[in-house]
Amino acid sequence: MRTPSPRKSLISYLQPYLLIAPTLLLVLMFNVAPAFRTVNDSLYKPARGLNAAGKPPEFVGLQNFQDLFDDSHYMGMRFLRTFRNTIIFALATVSLGVPLGLLLALLLNHQQPLLGLWRFAVFYPSLLPLIGAASIWSFIFSDSIGLANAVLKSVGHPGLNWLGDRNLVLLSVIIVNIWKQAGYFMIFFLAGLQNISRDIYEAASLDGAGELQQFFAITLPLLRRTLLFVIVVSFIFAFQTVEQLQALGEGGPADSANLLLYLIFQNISERRNWGYVNAMTIVLIGVVLTFTISNFLLFERDESDA
Amino acid sequence: MSSSSGLLQRAALAARLVIATIFLIPLVFTLLVSLRPENEPVTNGNIFFGSEVTLENYERASMVAPWSLHYINSIVFVGGTLAVQLATVTCAAYAFARMRFRGRNALLMIILLQLMIPSGVLLVQNFRMINILGLFDTRLALMLPYWGSAFGVLLLRQTFREVPIELEEAARIDGANLAQVIRHVYVSNAIPAYLAFALVSVSSHWNEFLWPFIITRSAEIRPLTVGLNKLIKTTDQGAFYGQLMAGTLIVIAPLVILFLVFQRQFVESFARSGIR
Repeated sequence: MRTPSPRKSLISYLQPYLLIAPTLLLVLMFNVAPAFRTVNDSLYKPARGLNAAGKPPEFVGLQNFQDLFDDSHYMGMRFLRTFRNTIIFALATVSLGVPLGLLLALLLNHQQPLLGLWRFAVFYPSLLPLIGAASIWSFIFSDSIGLANAVLKSVGHPGLNWLGDRNLVLLSVIIVNIWKQAGYFMIFFLAGLQNISRDIYEAASLDGAGELQQFFAITLPLLRRTLLFVIVVSFIFAFQTVEQLQALGEGGPADSANLLLYLIFQNISERRNWGYVNAMTIVLIGVVLTFTISNFLLFERDESDA
Repeated sequence: MSSSSGLLQRAALAARLVIATIFLIPLVFTLLVSLRPENEPVTNGNIFFGSEVTLENYERASMVAPWSLHYINSIVFVGGTLAVQLATVTCAAYAFARMRFRGRNALLMIILLQLMIPSGVLLVQNFRMINILGLFDTRLALMLPYWGSAFGVLLLRQTFREVPIELEEAARIDGANLAQVIRHVYVSNAIPAYLAFALVSVSSHWNEFLWPFIITRSAEIRPLTVGLNKLIKTTDQGAFYGQLMAGTLIVIAPLVILFLVFQRQFVESFARSGIR
């Protein structure tokens, strides 16, 4: 038998590294490095690398963050209002969308006539582009010729200014988001329900437990992990889904329905706000990281060694 | 069956009907409004149909944006992203599933950082990175950040580990090289996982808007979602909802049809994609 040549063994030593190199490089370039540059640029004012010629960026420490949390500052005012909206948006999506997803899963768990149609009806919204979904709802919510007001008027109500009234815009955006996400949440619950053995229910009904009792005594406790997972995932999603604003009022009037990532997007080309968009991105990363890390701590340990 | 459970069954059927109707209303009315004459809004007379069924909204929508061009751009964007992803993901997944090398766990952790800090959140610096690379307004700029996929690596690594190692050993004895082993032993035994990954990748990039919107300027390379945005902005000024609904249908039709064909696979793939 031949002994392997030194060249061949070097290649086989390098092989795994060559195989992962493209993925690793791309993650370093578009996830890791930008995260570090975000931290760096959030500490400078007004800009770094994007300055008008001859004006060096000025290191300002945490000044950008102080401005963001100062409601008399022009950007702080916008940021604080937007941040509050983002929290409300996330809480509403989770507290209404997740229970709805669970209800859908319970209704559509068993073999039944028209199951395909039912599932299509509740799941298709999660496949639409956010901007397409928003475009549809911009017609429904249209002030003068929209469907929602057509229905309201037919029952004698004068109709609402869904996308123009600052107390209603955020609600409209939340309704669209719940409609779009509930079917997506449903599929995790369906997967969870499939893992619960039929025998437990049979034993319970022999003991005389009604369906509602069975739900609270068996289904809910056994779905606890799924429920936790969906809640965490839906929070993470809520902080990243902003594209619908493009068709639903663009965050206005006066930022009354603006969301954090959309505010960042609105200011991405404004040179004087470069430090602020980076500082806002840090806040956003902080929130998303908190949820993803808790997700990993809660679930990844069991799955990685499966 | 006891009578209380019969009552519950009927309540469940009623709930299914009500919820399905509410969820379908937006889609149904998108279709109806797209076929209604523009000067007869739903607030006028019959809420479902106008005086005639017309395609004029589609004609008008087609004048606002070059849809066939946008279709090609979306297909190139989605297809180009997926094709390269399949290659990078397969290589990395094999290395992490079946090879021993120094730093394996640490390197995997670095790749998993993508799940913790998703590219979407890093809009600002990735926009700058593309400008520095001189790639602004190119097709490459659209796809590049998505070519590495931690989700894909994780999904396929798991699937590859379930392939019996004896299959690889047998192939090696028959003289197969690494590329042949990966292709004939691993890829061919992981088709459902590839389908799951492809469906998630295709549907999420077909729907992408913010990134293509900020990173491109020319209609020649912009995807459908950006074309739809143009239609939305046109509609703002005159409330031409007929043409907007027609344009929206043009954009969403392929995915809705794809879903009708692959309904079960879609649901299963999305169930595996907790974090994209």
